[in-house]
Amino acid sequence: MLAKINSYALNGLEGYGVTVEVDIHAGIPNFDVVGLPDTAIKESRERVRSAVKNSGYDFSPRRITVNLAPAYTKKEGPTFDLAIALGILVSTEQAGMDENNKPLPSIRDYVFLGELSLSGEVTRINGVMPMLIAAREHGVKKIVIPKANSNEAKYICGIDVYAVGTLRDAVSLINGETREPIEKSDVVLGGIGRACEDLKFVKGQFAAKRALEIAAAGGHNILMIGSPGGGKTMLAKCLPGILPDLTEQEALETTKIHSVAGILDAERGIVTSRPFRSPHHTTSRVALTGGGSSAKPGEISFSHNGVLFLDELPEYPRSVLEILRQPLEDGVVTVSRAARSVEYPANFMLVASMNPCPCGYYGSTTHTCSCSPSQIQKYMSRISGPLLDRIDLHIEVDEVNYDDLTKDVQTESSAQVKARVNAARAIQTTRYAGTGVYSNAKMTSEMIKKYCALDAAGEKILQAAFDRLGMSARAYTRILKVARTIADLDGQERILSRHVAEAVMYRSLDKAVK
Amino acid sequence: MMLLSDLYLWLSYSHVSTPKINKITEKLSPSQLWDTFDDETRYALDEKTYNMLKRTRNVEFIERAKFYLETNNIKYITRADPLFPESLAQKEVNPPSVLYYKGDITLLREPCIAVVGTRRASQYGKYVTQKIVSELAGTFTIVSGMATGIDGFAHRAALEVGGKTVAVLGSGLFNASPSSNLRLFDEICQKGLVLSEYTPDTHASEYTFPQRNRLISGLSKGVLVVEAAAKSGSLITADCALEQGRDVFAVPGDIDKPRSQGTNQLIKNGGVPVTCAEDIFDYYNVSGKKKSEQKTIALDFAEQRVMDVLEQGEKSFDGLVECCGMTVPELNTALSALLIYGLIHEKSKNLYCVS
Repeated sequence: MLAKINSYALNGLEGYGVTVEVDIHAGIPNFDVVGLPDTAIKESRERVRSAVKNSGYDFSPRRITVNLAPAYTKKEGPTFDLAIALGILVSTEQAGMDENNKPLPSIRDYVFLGELSLSGEVTRINGVMPMLIAAREHGVKKIVIPKANSNEAKYICGIDVYAVGTLRDAVSLINGETREPIEKSDVVLGGIGRACEDLKFVKGQFAAKRALEIAAAGGHNILMIGSPGGGKTMLAKCLPGILPDLTEQEALETTKIHSVAGILDAERGIVTSRPFRSPHHTTSRVALTGGGSSAKPGEISFSHNGVLFLDELPEYPRSVLEILRQPLEDGVVTVSRAARSVEYPANFMLVASMNPCPCGYYGSTTHTCSCSPSQIQKYMSRISGPLLDRIDLHIEVDEVNYDDLTKDVQTESSAQVKARVNAARAIQTTRYAGTGVYSNAKMTSEMIKKYCALDAAGEKILQAAFDRLGMSARAYTRILKVARTIADLDGQERILSRHVAEAVMYRSLDKAVK
Repeated sequence: MMLLSDLYLWLSYSHVSTPKINKITEKLSPSQLWDTFDDETRYALDEKTYNMLKRTRNVEFIERAKFYLETNNIKYITRADPLFPESLAQKEVNPPSVLYYKGDITLLREPCIAVVGTRRASQYGKYVTQKIVSELAGTFTIVSGMATGIDGFAHRAALEVGGKTVAVLGSGLFNASPSSNLRLFDEICQKGLVLSEYTPDTHASEYTFPQRNRLISGLSKGVLVVEAAAKSGSLITADCALEQGRDVFAVPGDIDKPRSQGTNQLIKNGGVPVTCAEDIFDYYNVSGKKKSEQKTIALDFAEQRVMDVLEQGEKSFDGLVECCGMTVPELNTALSALLIYGLIHEKSKNLYCVS
């Protein structure tokens, strides 16, 4: 007898329906899966066989053919285990039958997702959130997912989600047992993603702290330059504590990616705070952008709506850094592989740190730099102009001396800064509502023209800055965007000359080029 | 009989070294060299020089060299030329027979000061060079060697204030180095003077740079050494200056910094310590051109407060935050405005002082 069970698969972040067809007929005993399965699916034969037996059902040797339709797309992962097992049980008439041994039609209403363990338990899978969203859009009403994934499903309304713990659970569900779907709950956002430092413990570094505040408020890319021990990494670690809260829209976008990649916190089931990713400088290009034969998302997509922190920027291979250019500009990355081409959002804020020279002490007041000018130039030139072009704020981070460390000056805590950042971001969210832009850093040229108009005094300052400080033309729009953020932090509708003047201070590399 | 200038060009192009040329021209008259070139000439020269000269001694050779220079837009001046700088004609300088140049040769008539120093300049050295040169350049032509470090900063600082500057290369004009200063090279060709005693195709070698240093000091009234380690090439320039009877100025530095040891040693040995351009003006009894009077700029309260604090000494950003009692945005705005007005400048990263 032939059984058809609905399931779902993913192409990048887009889910699509897959029908698992199971046919059992006479012949030499065999168990075959067709429809472009990957190794994990082929291995599911063994899991299904054991799970069915160990759940107390019969698995007599017969000729079993499983087809995953549509047959032309490559399928991967253990997501179909549950559907295959149910298909076998239905076609052997062990499940989905009414009292008169007639097949129940209701089984076609459900979509089944889940991996099986040998004991018959349904275990956690990746990518539940995007599949739920896709299923809802395609008009699916009922979906069955592993119990371990139930937290992810809480936030998706408009679809009944049933969580099952074992194969027997699933069978009793299709046998008509009435059961309550998972209770929906509102998205609770906020809180700090992971243990991080607090700004109040950073001694001195007032300029750098202010720059971080501006960067967080406007989503600006920022580069910190300074000698070792200045606290660049510590400053960066303070950043998660002052990033603005996610909006619900942003949270869902980021959760989708994390769900696909399997890095979602199972407890929370949703990304509640902005991601902060800091890949090591040995990271490969594919790990950063995403890729592999199955076109998985990479670090830049994991940090969507959050921060990508690259410590010791010049240590990254140049080829790795250059690939950041296009995503920094477009906010998406298109990963094309032979089998598929997938677009992942990658709207991240780049935070980078570097030393001023190979030995680290160029310009230091406490150490003597031992680098030759050509070494320094070589070091700086590892970061290409086009990449620097995309970084709005450059700041020099001083060394901290003993007096600073021991001084007991009360400085602002991260919470106080975060309050200001949140207020500034709220202004931006209102301003850009409906445009797909969330922050000042991502303003289009048209928006810059509209929202960054300068008054006469502001123009004059900017003009003078260009003449006097030898700024390059590339700095122009960067300064305008940063000035916009400073004005937002100040709660001003218009950009005033004092905002421009402050924005000029954060272009130290432009000044140094002179 | 040929022109004296052609004779010098021939000697220069024959690649006989300058000291030898000077010896030859002392011993032999031009006619003995070119016209007769007999046994007597041969006795006066060593074998190698004789062969080199003999091989190149024909009119065609000289004409070819002249044509080459002309098509490549390189001008030259020989010792026979009335424009040839008197300062170089002095015996101690070991005068070159020909100077190849691009730019304005009349700059050499102005009083010149050489500014030299280490290639591995610190940010402090850069700052000192810019500060002193920008004032000197109004009165003197700045001579240096277009190397990385202090040399390059000196040329740039002079050009920036619209002053005159002369670069003396240790290679031929076609092989100017380092490549990072090629843009500077072009700029000096346009607005100043680049010269070399070597034929344009000559490559720099470890011998040519010390040789070149004697011209830097020779062209100048005095040599200012900004930063130099104990064994720096700049000290060769200072030695040359002493031999040629030029003045040596040095900027004192920390006694424990390697980059100050050379300059401190110069001061110990009798060099004139220099901490500002006025020191040099006073030494020569000239009055430096006053910088155009600063227009009085109306400062607001915050800016005035920052100025008051900075006038008592340089301060870091964090120090200013504490002393001025302002919020960081206010301070940033004030600093930015003062930087733009040119009233203060950033001495090194995050360290501010009054201009």
